[in-house]
Amino acid sequence: MTTVLLVDDEKLIQRSLEKTLLRAGFDVLTASDCTAGRDMFSQNSGTVDIAVLDLNMPGFDGVPKNDAGFDLLDELKKQKSDLPVIILTAYDEVNKAKDAVSKGANAFFVKGREQGLVELVQKILSANN
Amino acid sequence: MSDPRKLPQVLYIEDSDESRSLVRRLLADKYVVLEAANPLDGLQLAEETQPNLILLDHDLPQMSGSEVATRLKKMLPRTPIVIISGDTSNGARERALAAGAVGFILKPIDDSFADLVDEYLQGKVEKLEHAEKYLQAYQQELVERLEGKIRQLSSALEKNKHLLQQNGRMFAMLERRHRLLETAARVGQMVTSILDMDDLLRHTVNIICGEFNFYYSGIFLISDDRKWAILRAGYAEAGRKMMAENYRLAVDEKSMIGRAILDEQPQIALDAVGEESRFKNPFLPDTRSEMALPLIVDSIPLGALTVQSNQLNAFSEDDITSLQAMAEQVAIAINNAQLMNKLESANAEILRTKTYEAIATATGEAIHWVGNKAAPIPGSVQRVREDVRYLLALVAQVNASALKNAALESAVQKVREEAEALGIDLKAVLAEMSAMKPYRLQALVSVESLMEDLDIAENSAKTILDIKEGLIGPARQRSDAAVSLSEMISNTVANMGLPDDVVSMTWSDDMPLAQVDARQVEQVFNNLIKNAWEAMSQTFEPKIFVDGRRDVDPNFVLVTVKDNGPGIPKEIQEKIWVSFFTTKGGKGGTGLGLSAVMQIVQQHGGKIWLESDSGHGAKFYVRLPAVK
Repeated sequence: MTTVLLVDDEKLIQRSLEKTLLRAGFDVLTASDCTAGRDMFSQNSGTVDIAVLDLNMPGFDGVPKNDAGFDLLDELKKQKSDLPVIILTAYDEVNKAKDAVSKGANAFFVKGREQGLVELVQKILSANN
Repeated sequence: MSDPRKLPQVLYIEDSDESRSLVRRLLADKYVVLEAANPLDGLQLAEETQPNLILLDHDLPQMSGSEVATRLKKMLPRTPIVIISGDTSNGARERALAAGAVGFILKPIDDSFADLVDEYLQGKVEKLEHAEKYLQAYQQELVERLEGKIRQLSSALEKNKHLLQQNGRMFAMLERRHRLLETAARVGQMVTSILDMDDLLRHTVNIICGEFNFYYSGIFLISDDRKWAILRAGYAEAGRKMMAENYRLAVDEKSMIGRAILDEQPQIALDAVGEESRFKNPFLPDTRSEMALPLIVDSIPLGALTVQSNQLNAFSEDDITSLQAMAEQVAIAINNAQLMNKLESANAEILRTKTYEAIATATGEAIHWVGNKAAPIPGSVQRVREDVRYLLALVAQVNASALKNAALESAVQKVREEAEALGIDLKAVLAEMSAMKPYRLQALVSVESLMEDLDIAENSAKTILDIKEGLIGPARQRSDAAVSLSEMISNTVANMGLPDDVVSMTWSDDMPLAQVDARQVEQVFNNLIKNAWEAMSQTFEPKIFVDGRRDVDPNFVLVTVKDNGPGIPKEIQEKIWVSFFTTKGGKGGTGLGLSAVMQIVQQHGGKIWLESDSGHGAKFYVRLPAVK
């Protein structure tokens, strides 16, 4: 079973994405900020196959931060350099999302059509296998 | 020499120094000679000294020898009077005798003079034949002289009248000069305080025409390329028409305005019609006198002032001086106004840039925010759609007749028919479900999940719709009343359901009631305290301190809301007031809280500001009007 780590501070979005991923047949671990995301990963590092990280959420100091997702991306990559990561962005942050790819994320996903995220996760995982 | 005290006294009245010194020399041995240079002194001396003999020159200033003789005769009837005269004409002696003299001695006098004097002193009296005839002639002469005196007096009176008139004119002129200077000073004071250019120029021409009584005045300012003098203000109807036609003159020698600017010198035409070279202005056909005064500041001509009169020679020296003084003041005022304009346009530019930035930020934030809030809706709807298909597939399998209710039977039937009509193949859906593993089927066909997705969609939509409150709230009609902020805030805090030991409040005894709209201001403090609480989600022992007191300005109440949270970084301290800006990510903020708070406080005539250092909490200051 494929396990997705989903980190997003916006409750409704987090829950909706979680449900979409669950329905697609994935196991989903969720967290709402960088610290919780890192802890969740550490506790389940053997099982997480892919991480989906929001870009704007509270950072490791708990203060809301615009690019907190990048910090968590670095942290997770430190722990597991080949971990596939997708960065979640609002649809008007495409330029930042492209930065994400240059910082080591496999892809970015613009929040909205959730089925697209399912397809993206499947595509990345099948390419890695 | 004899004792002078015993010598007889002889008074000699004579205006010629030489004659007096001659007589003095001739008589000094035997007489005490008293001298007077004019009749009036002579008369006075005669009365004081009572001399033994009076010698009288006939041609005297002020009055004639005969007249003096008559007066002396009346004053000292017994003192002999001798008239000395160069008059050799017929009857001169007789006229003298008729006037009251006892003798008549013809000039020039010689050595025999002393003897003659002696004779008269001894009592010699010359005889006058036909005395009545000479007396009559003498009286005639007196009358004529009197008439002459009267003529002199009248002419003196006439002269006085003239002087009086002249004084009057002088006085009027001084008065006008005083008024002009006063006006110039007043204009100077007033115009230098007007910073709006059009206002300033209009006022100036109105005052010049109103106070100085000229029929037209106008102000020209130099164009940016310095080639034109453009009319910027003109008096009355002519001024209005010229302004409407964008009246302007080239800065050259052809017009007085042009010359005034070029030469930086006043141009004055007291007979404007007579000057052939004068530029004739069709709008001002009645001009008879005209002046153009350059407006100069720091040796740079800014333009020129024209003053025109329908009278010839309308400008006195005083007018010119006053108007020049005024022109100097006006020039300074124009310069000030121009500087002010430049400053204002620079400010306006900065303001525009700032406004655009703020709008761009607000718009960007709004788009971002709405997009974010709407994001879960399509996913939820998609899942609900799937769930409904599964549930309908199951419903379609209901044995309708077993329901034993015609309406229910037809409802089930209707589901089947409508699904088919909409192209939903319920049989195929059922087949799909049958093929699923049991746990997956359980996960998909879940009323709980269906309801949850509806909640997600509903809450997302609700959050977006809540913006309306944030946007419209502050704009609502205010109804201000005396409000105890301490009571209101205590209630607000109590209703927020925060843990007991988070909020502590201090109220000073002199804290006045606030004159505010209770509902709106409650929203302000609700927002601030909620913000503080939410900012401290990661704070160990979160604390909020609320303090209320009378402001330094006693017309206001000052309430501060302070937390010990992470603080607000300097770089976003300005942005927090912008609509849709939020640092809260998902935790439900609309991003309108602080922008609405600021709007409400400002609408009350109050002020809100922030002090915060990253890592040291945030302190919001709210100043609201106190009850008067």
